[in-house]
Amino acid sequence: MSRPAGGRGLPSAAPGPAVLSARGEEAVGDRALRYFCVAAAFVPIGLLLVLTLVMLTSAWPAIVYSGAKFVTGTVFTFGNLYGGTPTVHNGVSAPHNAQYGAAPLIVGTLLTSVIALAVAIPVSVGGVLMLVERIPHRFQAGLSIFLELLAGIPSVVYGLWGIIIFGPLLAHYVSPVLVRVLGFIPIFRGPVGSGQGLLVAGLILAVMVVPVIAATTRDLLRTVPILHKEGALALGMTRYETVKVVTIPFIRNGIFAAALLGWARALGETMAVLMVCGNALNIFPYNIYAPTITIAATIAAYLDGALTDATGMAVRALAEAGLLLLIITLLTNSLARVIVRRTSGAALPVGRGF
Amino acid sequence: MALRSWRSIQDLLFWALCALALCAIVGPAVWIIVGLLRDAGPLLNSRLLTHDTLHLGLQNAILGTLVLAFGVLVVAGPVGIGAGIYLAEFASGRVASFVRTFSEVLAGVPSIVVGYTGYVLLVVQFHWGYSIVAGILALVTIVTPYIVKTTEVALRQVPDNLREGAIALGLTMVATLRKVLLPPALPAIITGLVVALAISTGETAPLLYTAGFSDRNPVPALTHQPIGYLTYIAFTDIQLPDQSAHQLANAAADVTLVFLLVLIVVGRLLAIQSARRTARMNL
Amino acid sequence: MTLTACGGTGSTSNTPAPTPTPANVTVKVGNPSKPVTLMEDGSSLVLPYLQKMVDPIKADYANITLAPAAGGSGKGISDAISGAVQMGGSDAYLSDAQAAQNPDILNIPIAISAQSVDYNVPGVDSLKLSGDVLAKIYMGKITKWNDPAIAGLNSGATLPATAIVPVRRVESSGDTFIFTSLLNATNTDWQNGPGFGTTITWPAVPGEVTAQGNPGMVQVCKQTPGCIAYIGVSVRSTAQQAGLGEAMLQNKAGQFVKPDIANITAAVTAKASSIPTDLRASLIYADGAQSYPIVNYEYLVLKATQSDADTALAIRSFLTWAIDQKKGATDTNLQAVNFVALPQTVVPRVRAAIAKVSP
Repeated sequence: MSRPAGGRGLPSAAPGPAVLSARGEEAVGDRALRYFCVAAAFVPIGLLLVLTLVMLTSAWPAIVYSGAKFVTGTVFTFGNLYGGTPTVHNGVSAPHNAQYGAAPLIVGTLLTSVIALAVAIPVSVGGVLMLVERIPHRFQAGLSIFLELLAGIPSVVYGLWGIIIFGPLLAHYVSPVLVRVLGFIPIFRGPVGSGQGLLVAGLILAVMVVPVIAATTRDLLRTVPILHKEGALALGMTRYETVKVVTIPFIRNGIFAAALLGWARALGETMAVLMVCGNALNIFPYNIYAPTITIAATIAAYLDGALTDATGMAVRALAEAGLLLLIITLLTNSLARVIVRRTSGAALPVGRGF
Repeated sequence: MALRSWRSIQDLLFWALCALALCAIVGPAVWIIVGLLRDAGPLLNSRLLTHDTLHLGLQNAILGTLVLAFGVLVVAGPVGIGAGIYLAEFASGRVASFVRTFSEVLAGVPSIVVGYTGYVLLVVQFHWGYSIVAGILALVTIVTPYIVKTTEVALRQVPDNLREGAIALGLTMVATLRKVLLPPALPAIITGLVVALAISTGETAPLLYTAGFSDRNPVPALTHQPIGYLTYIAFTDIQLPDQSAHQLANAAADVTLVFLLVLIVVGRLLAIQSARRTARMNL
Repeated sequence: MTLTACGGTGSTSNTPAPTPTPANVTVKVGNPSKPVTLMEDGSSLVLPYLQKMVDPIKADYANITLAPAAGGSGKGISDAISGAVQMGGSDAYLSDAQAAQNPDILNIPIAISAQSVDYNVPGVDSLKLSGDVLAKIYMGKITKWNDPAIAGLNSGATLPATAIVPVRRVESSGDTFIFTSLLNATNTDWQNGPGFGTTITWPAVPGEVTAQGNPGMVQVCKQTPGCIAYIGVSVRSTAQQAGLGEAMLQNKAGQFVKPDIANITAAVTAKASSIPTDLRASLIYADGAQSYPIVNYEYLVLKATQSDADTALAIRSFLTWAIDQKKGATDTNLQAVNFVALPQTVVPRVRAAIAKVSP
């Protein structure tokens, strides 16, 4: 006898029907379905555990070697892979002068992703609102296709577009304007840079994250009951107010869920970021146009060179960086959930349906 | 009346910003796509379909991408949808939260880490060599969280009164899903599948380390045989000195987009069908 | 079959220990009895060269299928060691430590490549540079084109006061390896600092930009006035079309030379007598008035002991065929990537190494 709980805020439980036969047993089909779904749910867990385990076993010597300096140190270098006496820390031997300090990488990862989401969320939601609510139906299908299409453009194409077109455009036209308009804020001040830096990387990431959020938001928008929206209009609300009071609250949880995924994608994106970030391993970006690098881009850029390290420490250091990224993803994910739960207040009955 | 006109201005401003946002979404997409088409130029002809990648064609790469996409669909599809159903319909708060967090963190693992782990584990340790199955598993790892998330979100959007009605009618869970819950959720689930397939078609790094590359058509061998795919050409040929190699790289990106377009249209048609069924429910 | 071992530990420093040339070795080649696919991956520099060989070698040996791919030199070496592929393409030979760890691995050079230093300074048609000056530029110590150090090398030329924008590769690459090898050999600060390798930690230089791949270096340099970039000769024609100037580099004898075939060959010949038996040799900063300073062997890395006789036969046949100037190393194939064929002074040593592939 099974009673799936579900627990979605309904006063009485059992949102999933527990239909029992005369003998009080769960239907065979239901049990099979439940087993399958439980098994399926543990696949992502299993995959993540395997990845973590492999990374951990690989990274362990590097963790011992660097200790806490991995997170606080600012110099990341493989050392001399072609000679010199090995450097030994804590009993682990690495190439001569090898140092693995990832603080600039952490800062770069977080900053680029923050910029990406800060731009992607309003653009996705606003753009999709426009698409679904205002664009005439005959054009909707055509424009809507672009959302999924953006998701499928290979990241190397984004990187090339960033280097050849978007970066220079930003450096020559947009950044000078930003400096003039927002120059009073310290991070917007100063040299406009070469078109390879924090801002470009963040914006390219935003373009890559938009499809993840926008495609989901589009489908969510279509689930808002027309009755509610018409009721709001009947009350004399403008369309903007309808959106603010009826539509967005209805789908807000879904948008947040999609945004979490977008955040994860931003943290883990390698190729496109690598090509436009300026690849500055050992410095913290001094303004928003300065070169930087992310953990994922570092791994992508340096893995091939790391394979030539006979001691294997270079690969281990990169594995440690990968583990660090996992921890960052986990921490920021939890943080985001806590923040949203705090600020969302009482859950509205809107969105539960009645 | 001042309040009324202020509200009208707000309305206008808001929709103006939204229009700008839409341009910001469609603009780069069009820009990039037009650039790809232009740079592929002379190679955009039927030769792409008849010759392999060593002879200015893309036949093996197209077939390879299709095989990998099919594999991802067949493996990640049921797993992702099953997990999404679990999170939406079966799981209690704690367990659901646990599974959900794991899935989200999985989405944050860089694709190259997935690829290299696949290489270390599957290609080297399990001795599968560069193989189709290693490639598919790497892609599945990357793509599953998206399917799980969209399925869960889609099912949660379905109002609870439908579920209550199903209980009242004494439907089994299987029947409830089939007749009541999945039809309204299907468009979003299909979108999730399409986005997931799109992301997997656009990935290079994980496949480089698990599927290798082959200039010949895919062989029906799951292990020990590398396979070609379009993104490899887009990634590698752009670094080669030849002009024709660059054109081939752009052509590969173009074909990827065409493939996506077909995927999107098919998905859209399926979604429309199920939307019709939902409309009869008078939500 | 006489093989004379060379003195030394196979270290690749600039101390030439003249080794006697081995007599011309007979290598057992032939069409294998069953179809063999030779999988190769690694360096994207040697990839187009190998791609040109796929059809012709099939014509000569029906059972040999060459399957080249890219992925990076480090991956090529790693795959060859792990056995995921039969041959790994690499622009850099194995390091001492890696070679010691994998004594069964052979480094077989199949061609010679070089690298030019290109610049985008409108109004300057010819430029002379040295490794020392380049090191200072990439360390941020020389920041303007009219710096006294550069003017000193280019007496009589008017250099503008524009800022120098150094361009470097963002991913691991053999080009970085050979460029930094030159900087390492000519500037002590660089030697004690960043050193050399396929991937190094570059000093932070304000205004520096990155690019991916050789065509990427050309593209970025083309759109950045004042840039300087190290670019492999395989894209020499693209660089010329893009309007980039090609610098004359100072070699060890003090002469300023361009990466023309004669100068490249001169560098190889100068180092030919000191090439160790394991063929891990640097051609950087060679002696000789004509030698170009940034030259390297393109290697195929592979196991000496193969799993079966057919694979070993296929590998020996392919390698011997590939370095033969009438078969694989034809002028057409070489010119497509601006490679230079192995000179006759080196071929016997390479054949001696190929002969080691067994059973």
